[in-house]
Amino acid sequence: MQPHLATAIRFVIVLAGVSGLMVLVHRGLRLLNVRREAATGYALITPWLVGFLVFTSFPMIASAYLSFTDYNILQPPNWVGLENFRRIFTRDIDFWPAIRLTLLYAFLSVPIGVAGALVVAMLLANDLRGIGIYRTVYYLPTVLPEVAVALLWRWIFNPQAGLLNRFVVPVFRLFGLSRPDWFGDPTYVLPAFVIISLWGITGVNMVIFLAALKNVPLHLYEVAFIDGAGGWKRFRHITVPMISPVIFLQVVRGIIGALQIFTVYAFTNPTPRAGKFMSFYIYQTGFQQFRMGYASALAWILFAIILVLTLMVLRSSEMWVYYEGERK
Amino acid sequence: MSTVQGAAGGKLAWWESRRTRDTILRSISYVVVIAGAVVLTVPFLWMLSSSLKPAHAVFASPPEWIPDPVMWRNYVDAWTAMPFTRFLINTVFIIALGLSGELLSCTVVAYGFARYRFPGRNVLFIILLSTMMLPYVVTLIPTFLIWRTLGLINTFDPLVIGAIFAWGPFHIFLLRQFMLTVPVEMEEAAIVDGAHTMQRFAYIMIPLIRPALLAVGVFTFQAFWNDFLGPLIYLNDMSKYTMNLGIYFFMGGPAEAPQWHWLMAMSTMLALPVLVLFFLAQRYFIEGLTVTGLKG
Repeated sequence: MQPHLATAIRFVIVLAGVSGLMVLVHRGLRLLNVRREAATGYALITPWLVGFLVFTSFPMIASAYLSFTDYNILQPPNWVGLENFRRIFTRDIDFWPAIRLTLLYAFLSVPIGVAGALVVAMLLANDLRGIGIYRTVYYLPTVLPEVAVALLWRWIFNPQAGLLNRFVVPVFRLFGLSRPDWFGDPTYVLPAFVIISLWGITGVNMVIFLAALKNVPLHLYEVAFIDGAGGWKRFRHITVPMISPVIFLQVVRGIIGALQIFTVYAFTNPTPRAGKFMSFYIYQTGFQQFRMGYASALAWILFAIILVLTLMVLRSSEMWVYYEGERK
Repeated sequence: MSTVQGAAGGKLAWWESRRTRDTILRSISYVVVIAGAVVLTVPFLWMLSSSLKPAHAVFASPPEWIPDPVMWRNYVDAWTAMPFTRFLINTVFIIALGLSGELLSCTVVAYGFARYRFPGRNVLFIILLSTMMLPYVVTLIPTFLIWRTLGLINTFDPLVIGAIFAWGPFHIFLLRQFMLTVPVEMEEAAIVDGAHTMQRFAYIMIPLIRPALLAVGVFTFQAFWNDFLGPLIYLNDMSKYTMNLGIYFFMGGPAEAPQWHWLMAMSTMLALPVLVLFFLAQRYFIEGLTVTGLKG
């Protein structure tokens, strides 16, 4: 129990330190004649502010710096300029396959995931009998631990005895294809991960869509119905615009999540010949080979990709996202 | 009424009537919803079934859904194959500290953002929201280096101490949204009665936002229970492993043939606490997701 006790003691010390800091911030600001309300406000957000500076801002800057260095932890970082990036783009045999797999996965899983979640949410928004039970079942993928799910998928995709192949093999045979080795054959790795993401459709996204659908005012549908709008038109011209801010948020969250998939990959252990997911490649480079500079450069490339994609969605959102309170 | 007046005023055939169409749509909805429920539960049942089979039956073809004999022993065997009791203690320890740190700090910070006006508040809050979008891979390496400089690699500290600094922007946001719905008058009444900030916070705000606290509690529990990358990077000694890390090494490398009946037993045991928690706190869980999802 030695390590536990040590951590617990340090935890309490840091906790006390942060509380003390809050008091100090308050006293100090009061001495500087800051309004009481403002001083209390700053004091209350101190824990986050310190965390933001120490665990977000500083690491961001540090990792930007490291990406221009060669750093193996044992010797101090050695400035190499753009060498890491030059190497990544021209000589790294793992980089392009990793980018390809990661991006393809995001491009396939995000649209399917968001559209699928919306469809399922619309089905579950109906007042069907026993809907409570179905909803609970549909929450399963959100609730089950990632590691348990990843292990389960590895077993389901098992080429010999996995559940999936017991259904798939006869179909494949009809088309003259042999038994798919999902994680062993590079051809099937991407489809396997897309199938896994399909199962997750009913996760958090669906819960949020379900709530969003309930917030669409009923009278809009009634008016449209009186005007003779059919089901599809009501969906297209009422449902979609009204929940478009939520769709937008889901797309952005989906992109960020899909580009950083890690745990499922680590536990299913697919053949590296299909390419590795970027976050796993970064982990290997940084924490198994201790090439921290190179890994930081990779991380920044991934960050840039996420940023560009998010900005693209943001740009396009002006055309299709409707905010009710907004005036133009 | 066998025919209905259409929108244009003409008579409609029976298959054009609203009621028939409704019935058809409803039946389709039922079929799809039930089919979906089956697709979602079958893998889960497969996990349970595999976990109770004797080793040789796992690969049987055609598959047996009902294990015969039912091997409850798999659970004991899997659990004792590695020091999982120790891993569980470590995990619970991490969750206990992380959860208390996260709840304390996030509520305090959320209270500041919800109730106090100070210069730069909105800018800071937008910064806080934008950190939600920040990919973890960018800060991963320098954060590791910070802990390494402090000499705290291979301790639990990197996994729990950050929680004191409110590291879940999502949780702060959720709590703040909830606090904004509490009428200010209640606190003003307390001010008249002479209550200072911390008293108002503890005796008025906290009891009123209990559902949000429970939601954050459930999310934090889930986040720690699911965390794999953190322990993988920071913990080296097997005696310090968490459940997830233990299972990862229990699974064996790519070359080894995993013991599927044991692994499925472990998966089931890993899922069980979260499932129980979910059924107990389902309402808060859904409410929490809803608040943050809609007002983001």
